[in-house]
Amino acid sequence: MLKKILIFNLFFSFLLITFSSGFARIYIDVNAPSFSPFPIILSKWKGIGKTPQAITDKVYEILANDLTLSGFFKVIPYQNLPSHLQNREGIPSTLFLNEWAIQEGDALLAGEVFLDSVNMILKLRFHLFDLVEKKHLVGKEYEGPLKAIRTIVHRVSDETILQLTGEAGVNNTKIAYVVTQGESKEIFISDFDGYNIKQLTQNQSINISPSWSPDGKKIAFTSYLKRNPDLYVIDLEGKNLQRLSFSQGLNASPSWSPDGKKIALMMGKEGKSDIYIIDADGSNPRKLTKGHGNEATPRWSPDGKWIAFVSDRSGSPQIYIMSQDGSQVRRLTFEGNYNTDPSWSPKGDRIAFCGLSSGRFEIFTIGVDGSGLRRLTSNSGNNEKPCWSPDGRYIAFSSTRTGASKIYIMNDNGLNQRPLTTSKGGETSPAWSRRFE
Amino acid sequence: MVKKTLIIITLTILFALLVIGCPKKTVLKEGPSEKEAEELALERERAKRLEAERAEREKALQELEAKRTQALKELEAERERAKRLEAERAEREKALQELEAKRTQALKELEAQREQAKRLEAEKKALEELEAKRIQALKELEAERERAKRLEAERAERERALREKEEALKREFEKSLVASKTPGIEGEVFESSMLKDIHFDFDRYDIRPQDAEILKEIANLLKKFPSIKIQIEGHCDERGTNEYNLALGERRANSAKEYLTSLGISPERISTISYGEERPLDPSHNEEAWAKNRRAHFVILSK
Repeated sequence: MLKKILIFNLFFSFLLITFSSGFARIYIDVNAPSFSPFPIILSKWKGIGKTPQAITDKVYEILANDLTLSGFFKVIPYQNLPSHLQNREGIPSTLFLNEWAIQEGDALLAGEVFLDSVNMILKLRFHLFDLVEKKHLVGKEYEGPLKAIRTIVHRVSDETILQLTGEAGVNNTKIAYVVTQGESKEIFISDFDGYNIKQLTQNQSINISPSWSPDGKKIAFTSYLKRNPDLYVIDLEGKNLQRLSFSQGLNASPSWSPDGKKIALMMGKEGKSDIYIIDADGSNPRKLTKGHGNEATPRWSPDGKWIAFVSDRSGSPQIYIMSQDGSQVRRLTFEGNYNTDPSWSPKGDRIAFCGLSSGRFEIFTIGVDGSGLRRLTSNSGNNEKPCWSPDGRYIAFSSTRTGASKIYIMNDNGLNQRPLTTSKGGETSPAWSRRFE
Repeated sequence: MVKKTLIIITLTILFALLVIGCPKKTVLKEGPSEKEAEELALERERAKRLEAERAEREKALQELEAKRTQALKELEAERERAKRLEAERAEREKALQELEAKRTQALKELEAQREQAKRLEAEKKALEELEAKRIQALKELEAERERAKRLEAERAERERALREKEEALKREFEKSLVASKTPGIEGEVFESSMLKDIHFDFDRYDIRPQDAEILKEIANLLKKFPSIKIQIEGHCDERGTNEYNLALGERRANSAKEYLTSLGISPERISTISYGEERPLDPSHNEEAWAKNRRAHFVILSK
């Protein structure tokens, strides 16, 4: 299957040379201080041959949702188009772009769906047009098994985002989180758009603090299976559960080093929580923190040189940064008296954290030099445990703004806050994966 | 002695007188005529007279001599007597001395006897005193024994009461035990209403004074049931972040553990576990629930 996609990619890459007019240009500057969603027309997609309408509709729905969730776009669905364009299916010719340009849309995304019902292979062909300059931007075809329909559509979304923002989207990423089920807590994963929910642990224990391995193949987490908070890893099928670290007391809040060779974690070997590093197989624990404070939530910097963590050594929990050998400790946060849950941005320039402000827990980001403190949430429940998307353009967090805790996603500037999932029991502790190809 | 001297002086005088009378005899032989015959007759007369006188004197002398001899004899006898007397006196003296010595000896002995008697008396007295003391001591001992017996009885009674109380406590404790299994958490523990929770202030892990009593009760219970091993669970309320609360819960459990070990409970009997905010006692979202959930909870791992 992968091979086939590659072949098709090559084929369309070749086609691109003929179709593509001009070179990459950034239409949407997501880092601009003021930012309004980019209007994009999503014309009706065409089902080729005997492709069921339901499949075509599904593709369209996923695509519209992806683009909306990205936060970059104002999606104009075909239903909102003038009547003569509403049922215009398929890929238009560049020559007739004028007819689409009368709309408010700055870009047009059109495509076709073909289901090979014998092999249950789904093929998506799409083209992206610049309606302002009336030019073709990209045309590609992806295919894969029908059951991977969401993944295939996400690739279209990612490509669209790449074309318009200069960086691919994160539609093919997953988020791990904790779901409360009665008295137990289980680890779940879902796609970035909240679909494809999968329960990884089903042991009725307390399973918390999921953390993705850098290769995206495993999740480390803490479980009370053996009546002690031990560190485990499990694969994405919920199999191959392995106990990594189980010294008496805490073995919690894991964070993989970017090379995947080490794990930083909280350990309670000495009657209080300290930051340790273990090898990825759980061996060779080294204590990094000194003194009498409670040390929590170590988070590796993307370059693998630094570890952000929480310490109450000053009397209240604050974010600190130290070298990965435990030296060069410095305090990062000075505002407020309860700052926890640090998370390093993929670019390494900022740290998101959870801070207590006016009696509520809110999400903040701050530069690693301590400058540029920004508050991203406000006055709506408690917001905790921020984590960055692999492209650094989103932050997932948990919030109790509507009652039970749920996972939310927002742009890294705090805009476009939306719930990821809607389970009853309550969800906490999101962790974002790398991009899956 | 004076007598003796007097006798000697008298004898000396008498002898001297004798010596002076002798030369007149010679003078008488001269003068023979008528005159001379007259004279001689005179002389003869005188010689006769003289003779008579002389005889007289002789006789006196003889008498004297006899007297003297007699005196001498008497003197001698007297001397003898004196000697005898002296001897007797010496004898007596000696006897006296002996007697004296004997007396002294006897006195000494007597004194010694007296001393001994005195000593014996003292000893006797001391003995009596000792005896009295002994009797007193015996009495006291008896009293003491009585008291000890009474105390022992009281102690036994108290002990019995205490044992009963402990038995009752043990029964109460055993009765209070409820086996508890948590799905997804290995092993079975026992909960007891007699192991009360202690509570903490927000973001704190120090033992509050009002909770020290609870910990003391738990320590006493642990001392009475030395085989029991417990686990202290540190819990937090839902405020604050999960992972920092794990650290806080770890600290709360260990605070309680340190307190119990300071009361003499072996640390080997106490394990700790932090549940952070993951296992709230009351899942509500209000101050009342939060206060309940900030706690250290005690469970029995093994009886």
